[in-house]
Amino acid sequence: MNPLQPLPGHAERTPPGESPVPRDAAAADRRRRILAATGELVAKRGYHATTLELIVRRARVGYPAFYKCFADKEAVFLALFDGAAARTAATVGAAVAARAERPWPERVAAALDALFDSIAASPLPARTCLVEILTAGPAAVARYEAALRAIGIPILQPGRDLNPRAAELSGALEETLAGGVAWMAYQRLVAGEADRIPSLLPEALEFVLMPYLGEEETARAVSALS
Amino acid sequence: MTSQQSEDQDGSPPLPFGPLPSGRHRFSPEQVAHHQRERLIAGLAAVVAERGYAAATIGEIAAAAHVSRRVFYEHFQTKEECFLAAFDVVFEHLGDLLVAAVAAHPGDWPQQVVSGLRAALGFFAERPDLARLFFLESPSAGPALQRRATEVGLLLAPHLRAGREQSRMRDMPDSTEPSLFGAVGSRIRNEVALRGSEGLTALLPEMVEFVLIPYLGGEEARRYAAEAEEDQP
Repeated sequence: MNPLQPLPGHAERTPPGESPVPRDAAAADRRRRILAATGELVAKRGYHATTLELIVRRARVGYPAFYKCFADKEAVFLALFDGAAARTAATVGAAVAARAERPWPERVAAALDALFDSIAASPLPARTCLVEILTAGPAAVARYEAALRAIGIPILQPGRDLNPRAAELSGALEETLAGGVAWMAYQRLVAGEADRIPSLLPEALEFVLMPYLGEEETARAVSALS
Repeated sequence: MTSQQSEDQDGSPPLPFGPLPSGRHRFSPEQVAHHQRERLIAGLAAVVAERGYAAATIGEIAAAAHVSRRVFYEHFQTKEECFLAAFDVVFEHLGDLLVAAVAAHPGDWPQQVVSGLRAALGFFAERPDLARLFFLESPSAGPALQRRATEVGLLLAPHLRAGREQSRMRDMPDSTEPSLFGAVGSRIRNEVALRGSEGLTALLPEMVEFVLIPYLGGEEARRYAAEAEEDQP
């Protein structure tokens, strides 16, 4: 704790930039602590057993400070999810960008590989994003579906360029495939087998390539993995 | 050929969830359950449909079932256990719908798939309460339910796996069928969450195409999807 941190009410009277700890920096720190505490609690106890009381105690903030940052528990949780989804999108996006010149199946393989590795490397945050999010009410489910589309569509849609009948493929194909991949990870996470998720790569790759490439080219792309 | 039935015949066992909301259902009022356990399952479904699993209390479930709290505890130790029973009733019914679809089209695997998907989508479109319970609320009902949901795809997989006979690609990974069920389930959940269950039957053509592609290839899968679309009411 910074001893020079302004007392409550003091910061409001201090012109911006003159306080030793700028007010928005202190607020940002509180916000970060609330998010971290919520992430730890949800990972340990699940969303519903995580109470606001537990969050403020663990984050070492008061209720007024909490309510300055977030409207309620759901709001913190959704902010936590948004941050994790954005990081996942960035990780996967970087893996794809690093192979921008490579054929599309290789880019998809790189995306799945990065995704599965990041889940296996930090299974607790992954549980928040893939398991707990679905328990947190309609707004959370909508947020989850939006994230699936935001991550899945840009990676998968270029596959349509390789399919002469792409226009006839269902418009929801990408989100359905993304849902299937998420389901593969979900099955392992709820079974406590996050470490097995990276080994799903070949079958997940085959699963998502098949509708675009057909069986022969899919088989070739999957065997090129090893 | 003992248990064969056309998909239009009412051969499915009754669901213990009380009268259906629309006139097109397959369960007569006579089939409405009378046992306490079934009333409790129905009570849970009603309360969960209205308030969600997390907010539902055992007192409310017992009241909706017109039994006392003591009776609830004679049948179930926890709310989660009661939810699991309700989930399994829906799950078993889904299995029955698929068995009926298979029986209705002997030897015609693609039509079995079309018919099974049509029956499942139609069922959830008519029962928004059970669609919510099965797709939206079950992940909230604790680790046992989360694991149970992952078993659905595994237990229904044999219905689809028969299609491997049709496929030149015999060495598909074992996870193909559970993943297809997972993807279909995720698509349905998406629809139910964002737009409600009313429009579920409209997903039939895209679901038919999606499920058949790995077995039949894109062209044939699309043909069945187009046929399914023409047959839509």
